[in-house]
Amino acid sequence: MKIEGTYTFKAPQQKVWETFNSVEHLQEALPGCEELIETEPGKFDVFLKIGISAVKGKYKGKFEIADPNPPNSYKLIGQGKGLPGYVKGEAVISMSQEGEDTILSYDGDVQVGGLLAGIGQRMIGGISKMMIGQFFKSMDKVL
Amino acid sequence: MSGEKKKWVGSSYKRKEDMRLLTGRGTFMDDILLPNMKHAAILRSPYAHAKILDVDISEALKAPGVIGVVTGEDVKKASKPYPCGVTIPTKYYTCAVDKVRFVGEPVAVVVADNRYLAEDALDLIEVDYDPLEAVVDIEKAIEPDAPVLHENIGSNIYNHRFFKYGTDWDTLCQEADEVVKWKFNFPKYAGSPIETYGVIASYSSFENSYVVYNNYQGPFVNHALTAMALGIPENKMRWIIPTDIGGGFGTKTGIYPYCALMSIVAKKTGVTVKWIEDRREHLLASATCTDRVTYIEAAVRKDGKILGLKDKAMDTTGGYIRPPEPGCAYRSTGNHTGAYDIRNLDREVYIVATNKGLTAPLRGYGCQELYFSTERITDMAAAKLGIDPAEIRFKNFVQPEQMPYTTATGGYYDVGNYPAAFQKCLDIVEYDKMREYQKKARAEGRLVGIGLASVVDPSVTNIAYVAIGKTIEERKNERDKSGSGEAAIVKVDPLGGITVICSTNPQGQGHETVISQIIADEFGVHPDEVVVDSVLDSSDRLYSITTGSFSSRFASSGTTAIVRASRQCIEKAKKIAAHLMKIKVEDVVMEEGKFFAKDKPEKAIKLRHIAGAAHWNQYDLPEGIDAGLFGTSLWTMPTSRPPDGKDRVNSSNTYGFVAEAIVVEVDQETGEITFLKWASVHDAGTILNPQIVRGQVLGSIVQAIGGSMYEEQAYDEHGQCLTASFADYLCPTAMEMPKVDVDHFESPSVLTALGSKGAGEGSSMSVPPAIGNAIADALAPLGVVVDELPLSPSKIWHMIDEAKAKTN
Repeated sequence: MKIEGTYTFKAPQQKVWETFNSVEHLQEALPGCEELIETEPGKFDVFLKIGISAVKGKYKGKFEIADPNPPNSYKLIGQGKGLPGYVKGEAVISMSQEGEDTILSYDGDVQVGGLLAGIGQRMIGGISKMMIGQFFKSMDKVL
Repeated sequence: MSGEKKKWVGSSYKRKEDMRLLTGRGTFMDDILLPNMKHAAILRSPYAHAKILDVDISEALKAPGVIGVVTGEDVKKASKPYPCGVTIPTKYYTCAVDKVRFVGEPVAVVVADNRYLAEDALDLIEVDYDPLEAVVDIEKAIEPDAPVLHENIGSNIYNHRFFKYGTDWDTLCQEADEVVKWKFNFPKYAGSPIETYGVIASYSSFENSYVVYNNYQGPFVNHALTAMALGIPENKMRWIIPTDIGGGFGTKTGIYPYCALMSIVAKKTGVTVKWIEDRREHLLASATCTDRVTYIEAAVRKDGKILGLKDKAMDTTGGYIRPPEPGCAYRSTGNHTGAYDIRNLDREVYIVATNKGLTAPLRGYGCQELYFSTERITDMAAAKLGIDPAEIRFKNFVQPEQMPYTTATGGYYDVGNYPAAFQKCLDIVEYDKMREYQKKARAEGRLVGIGLASVVDPSVTNIAYVAIGKTIEERKNERDKSGSGEAAIVKVDPLGGITVICSTNPQGQGHETVISQIIADEFGVHPDEVVVDSVLDSSDRLYSITTGSFSSRFASSGTTAIVRASRQCIEKAKKIAAHLMKIKVEDVVMEEGKFFAKDKPEKAIKLRHIAGAAHWNQYDLPEGIDAGLFGTSLWTMPTSRPPDGKDRVNSSNTYGFVAEAIVVEVDQETGEITFLKWASVHDAGTILNPQIVRGQVLGSIVQAIGGSMYEEQAYDEHGQCLTASFADYLCPTAMEMPKVDVDHFESPSVLTALGSKGAGEGSSMSVPPAIGNAIADALAPLGVVVDELPLSPSKIWHMIDEAKAKTN
């Protein structure tokens, strides 16, 4: 499943970049994040608790930030699993300065399996949009 | 022969079962409670294809209320792969061993004090998977670079066979004026019974034996195969099937692996284990019909005569092949040419492994897949030749004077008048008037279509069909297999009451009612007095490999076994009557439950007095006659023979006929289909209970509407099942049921005691091609070709859209 979109932050690009690379801020803004541990530079273990109907459950996963090109782009590679199934995906995050704003765009491919696919697939596009929206809004607050 | 006139059979005597079923007092699997019963939940694979590197159950074992956990390793130690009718070495265990091959495949089982605790503990099992590339497309699966599911087979081909009947195909093509060819796709859809699978298993270490309650519908060959998989003698495994099963449709022929799995679980955990499948598990991993890709060619003469067919059918049985597969491809062997007099056939069959859920027979078993291709190509041939679709059918029907007719592939059609039955269907739908109506509608720019189908409805399969999966050479090294036996015991108790025990454990078909009607006629009693016990217990009931409720066998072979057992019982009663009246047996007459000397009807003895003598005064019985009064039969149809040396087999035993005529209108803007008119004419031989047959016909129609328009077990390209809930897997409801004019054309079978043939499956086979033909006809002006199902409004809308884009 393709996931793509953009979000406009009213902040300079360097600041957006730093915020997106801060464990503390990520943990705060990730919806349902109970714990985020940086196991080695750029690699994280994450524990999530999600309460949205079809994808409700506890998940644990790993993600890593690859190919960092500060402050312009990086690649996010992640996978997670919980009783409702598994998620894995890759996304390229790019940032660019436009006037006083920073435009963040993401372009990714996500695969879901198990119950998530059997029950949730129909809703997963909507749910991921909602969660990404929540995440950016929280990051926006931080900024 | 008891000789009295038929009174109850043929009447719409009210169903005896309905009061208990409609008031919620049936006895189903989940109603059964045993002492100290614990509950199982199954961990299922989220991957379509992956290696299992490790299964860590340590945390699950510590969870509250957990009694034990069973994994694939345990199953591998405790059982052998299921035997199957193909020559490749299959490895179907009841739980994934080393590898998972479809989403939903069992990986581990937790047993706990209740289902909630068992489900919670599933969350604590850590499975380390190494995901592999999956393949879901039948044709991609047999390409050389496709990921291989079973390394020990080396390819994804479970079975591959060629067949030739009659004239060589190339010669035939030279004789033909046209050769019409197309490729068709038939979908994977389910039976969706109201009651899901259920198993309660216990193990006795003293006798090393198992008792397994379950709602299996037959055939009981899988009782034997399950014993073989568990490596135990068959008599060490007692299966008990409760009085009521909430629907089967073939789906419940697929429960037997869980009987084995729960037996292993019961033995390992030392407790009685209950497992009731939930709806999600059912939709994901129980059983569906076999999806098929068919390449078909018809060689036809200008006048519409079909000289021969050539087809290549490619079935997929999913991640594993298990019994009775590869049956889907071979069950219809004898009726492959349907209702038509076609003597030449060239066939190729592939059974393919894909990372999808497993299959079982589904109402119509193999015939909807077959007839969707043959009936669609018949219409395509008619269109090519400029002949009306009704006319091409009349041109090719087996004629009544050809009966009994042996097909090119070995099917033995005993009776039938296909042209007359088909004409009746056309008359009911007012075919000519509808064609006029269609002309006017088209002139107004409306998309109206008329779809026909005329098919032979085989019932009472002969188990010999499975052997066709092996070549003639391979079969030479094996013992023959054949048969269609169904069992009945009719007994008269010391007070004269009649009880019938049958082997066709029903799933809602009304067997108690129809058996009571038959007994009422045979013995001259009222059907209300007859008790029918439909529990099936492998330890004390009469059954065989071929028994159970499947392949519409009750109406044909089940009823014949009941009639034979009744008449055996009556013959014995006559001997006792003759002895009591001191007359010759030949002089005893039985009428309306009374026995008398033919010249002295006033001095009659009642059945209950004869039963009384047989039970209460056993000393005074005629010489050589056992005490008690009962009859038994395990009757197999004489036409159930093994395949011959030319791959011909009478794969079923009675052959009915179904004609379908459907008028549809397609909404150009939305793709929605409206049924304007529908006639369905069936030849099921003698009708035993018109009300029940009507229910069966309408049921098979609505189920086929599901497969033709709504239902599909859909997968994404990674093998993820997209339809594991009723929100995504759409079944038709009363709202989607059109008005159908159902009628009958009775040609009584000469092979069965009452002349009846199967009636439960007919329209499952004829509706998919008839709907396909109707929509194809409606869309023909746009140049749209219909070659796959289900035809959902969105699919039709896209087809219309594409066609319009092309012409613009």
